[in-house]
Amino acid sequence: MKRILLLRGAELIVFAFLATIPLLVVNPYALGLLTLLAIYGILLIGLDVTVGYLGQVNLAHVAFLGLGAYAAGLVVTRLGLGMVPALLAATVVGLVLGGLLALPALRLEGPQFALATLSFAALSTTALNELEGLTGGAQGLSLSRPTLFGHTLTPPLFYWLCMVLLAVVWMLMRNLLASQWGRAFEALRDSPIATDAMGVGTYAHKVAAFALGSALGGLAGGLYAFNFQYLQPQSFTYDLMIILLLGVVLGGRKSLWGAFVGATVIVLLPNLLSSRHLFQIFSGLGFAGALAAGVRGLVKKTTRPFQALAPVVAMGLLVVGGLLVENTEDWRKAIFALMLFSVVVGLPEGIMGFLALFLAKLFRVPHAPLPEPADLDTMLPVRPADGSALLVLDDLKRHFGGVKAVDGLSMTVRAGTIHGLIGPNGSGKSTVVNVISGLYTPTAGTLQLRGVTLPSGSLYRVAQAGVARTFQNLQLFGELTALENVLVALKGVYRNPLPMVLLGLARREERTAQAEALALLELIGLRDQALVKAKDLTYGAQRFLEIARALARKPDLLILDEPAAGLAHPDVLQQIEFIQRIHQRGITIILIEHHMDVVSELCDTVTVLDGGRIIAEGTPDEVKRHPKVVEAYLGQPPQPELPGGTEPLPA
Amino acid sequence: MLQVEDLHAGYGASEVLTGTTLTVKQGTLVALIGANGAGKTTTMRAISGGLKPSRGRVLLDGQEVQGLDASRIARLGLAHSPEGRKVFGPLSVEDNLLLGAYSRLPRFLGYHAQAKPDLDRVYDLFPRLRDRARQSAGTLSGGEQQMLAIGRALMARPKVMLLDEPSMGLAPVIVQEVFRTIRRLKEEGITLLLVEQFAKSALEVADYAYVMERGRIAVEGTPAELGRNERVLAAYLG
Repeated sequence: MKRILLLRGAELIVFAFLATIPLLVVNPYALGLLTLLAIYGILLIGLDVTVGYLGQVNLAHVAFLGLGAYAAGLVVTRLGLGMVPALLAATVVGLVLGGLLALPALRLEGPQFALATLSFAALSTTALNELEGLTGGAQGLSLSRPTLFGHTLTPPLFYWLCMVLLAVVWMLMRNLLASQWGRAFEALRDSPIATDAMGVGTYAHKVAAFALGSALGGLAGGLYAFNFQYLQPQSFTYDLMIILLLGVVLGGRKSLWGAFVGATVIVLLPNLLSSRHLFQIFSGLGFAGALAAGVRGLVKKTTRPFQALAPVVAMGLLVVGGLLVENTEDWRKAIFALMLFSVVVGLPEGIMGFLALFLAKLFRVPHAPLPEPADLDTMLPVRPADGSALLVLDDLKRHFGGVKAVDGLSMTVRAGTIHGLIGPNGSGKSTVVNVISGLYTPTAGTLQLRGVTLPSGSLYRVAQAGVARTFQNLQLFGELTALENVLVALKGVYRNPLPMVLLGLARREERTAQAEALALLELIGLRDQALVKAKDLTYGAQRFLEIARALARKPDLLILDEPAAGLAHPDVLQQIEFIQRIHQRGITIILIEHHMDVVSELCDTVTVLDGGRIIAEGTPDEVKRHPKVVEAYLGQPPQPELPGGTEPLPA
Repeated sequence: MLQVEDLHAGYGASEVLTGTTLTVKQGTLVALIGANGAGKTTTMRAISGGLKPSRGRVLLDGQEVQGLDASRIARLGLAHSPEGRKVFGPLSVEDNLLLGAYSRLPRFLGYHAQAKPDLDRVYDLFPRLRDRARQSAGTLSGGEQQMLAIGRALMARPKVMLLDEPSMGLAPVIVQEVFRTIRRLKEEGITLLLVEQFAKSALEVADYAYVMERGRIAVEGTPAELGRNERVLAAYLG
């Protein structure tokens, strides 16, 4: 509760303070700056969705600002409609065009995505410029601020409107980002493959996020149009885009406060540059700050020399430049470049990222208490292990060019059993798993789950059909906590529609989800580490967590891909116990493993592959004695097992 | 040959190594065993420069190397065959091997001629790599990639070789082959520090062994001594 009060309290105070300003200040210039602050706040929150949460360099945001502005302007000038339809039109233009751009662009990654958005920005500026009949071209478009429900908006009233909209956007985004949606955004940045395999549609979520961010860009554009009442295509070019990116990075990514701080910097920058004297003061302050932080970091050994020195040099250049240069405005771009460089090197998490760490240390606000774990029998009822055919593979083939990785595999996995899949490296085990789970499409053959053909070539749809898997090379969401990792995958709890989530009415659902996730963490002994980030867990705990996350899918079939790889002896024993606990719930398991004693201990049936074909099938004891298996895999005649031995005996 | 004294290192705020001390004498094979998260891989990374130690000393052939860049330490004669093999997937097997010798060889002329004896030595040790010399490393099976990673480390003619989890994710028959290879490396007189989950197999090839627990050495001794230690037997040898 204390935590909620602290966080929400700070927001309330800032917004209340901002709301009273028009009553206290009559300086129209200052009021204009504050209005711009609210508009840029909305704009940067939108940009932060793609840059921060999706982790993509989005260079098209400025285009959505421009398109939104022109959409609002044209609705007012051409159609003669009021403020509300104009702002709606601006938002919808952002949403729709954002979605249309995202559909192809988000199939791309990294530099290609950045270039795709860059070309969209170029295209939209050119269009606004050349469609003279509609937009007035380079001449610009003049408009007057329309009425809102019949009221003329004076500058203070318009300022209030912008502030109210910022507050609403803030609240909705906060609810969205704290929900299953926000977690999905973060998860798909860490591991898109795992996000799909956990039944969260990666691509759909990315497109939705991008369209949402662009819609906010459009809305900001509409307000921008009514603020300046004059539009020119040249206002929405790369220059502004770079400044917007500077704002997000400087303020701090993945943070509403960061967007707000970034907007403040952007609004104040031109004023800072207009007076040489002011610029000298601020560059001096920046230099002192960089120097102090650098020296402190070096003494405490928390930063590397380069990280400490580079911002000091960059800020030093600003100070020297401020003394030498007559007109700081002319050097605008160089100044932005140096600032951006200092921030990227010195404060990679931005101002708010830095402050958040600092404040967390100062207040030591505890995490909100977690609910009691749910009852495992209710959330994951024991299934009947009737031994019926659950998964049937018939003459499955998967070829890569000339390589026949899987070459005519027929296999039946019975309900409630643990089915081992072993074989030498390169025998096709991983390919089989990747075909079943939908990562690869089969070249030929069929797969049926409970008599229904499994969808092929889509991790997401196979996951929806009731198959969950773990990954040989761990695919956890490193930046999320253990609890959140399980929550992302959790099935059957999140039912509330998006509007309810946006309005913050989905809290109960969230508690239920947490309780269920905790029950799963308890099952694998990680309940007391629920709030530790996955990347900070020990290697063994990470292996266990992958299983809990897959279990959150409440699957019919669970595929464990080398769950004991790299585990030391005590952890291997633990892992065996966890898998047995899961098996007791009647969940069917396919187990790929090289530790033969794990296989012997757990499996009911074992299929041995070599060269993409089955060379033996039967109980563990049968296959261990099979001459072909000994030759291709075990490498020696089986000897009487020593109790608890985990070793292949060296030759 | 390799001496580690009171080594401290970690990631960010969490300190993983809290004063590790160990010695590897010339021509011996020393095994480092312990549970997951005890700090075995971190020790190797702190020795080879992948991670900067915050305190302590690392002596390679009598010379202090702690805090130097990984490439510098490699040039001074330390080869690290990392966990998960990390071969250069798109490059051919032979190019992978030649890159192992990069720091020793002339940059332009006479590259191949000078590398020839070392290549032959590696190919004699792993005949299967000779057959696949032109194939890209990514298409090799897990076992072959492990051979390649060891071969690449050998190409540098190291004074000391660190071998991290060479058996990870390999079929039993290949694991046996890996241990046969390790024996041959030992017979050739190569100084080795080995991290391994298969503690029993590791102790069978080692001359001396250290057991790590929570960032420091808990027990040390010859394999015979450790085999008599009740606690080590129960926790690691099953």
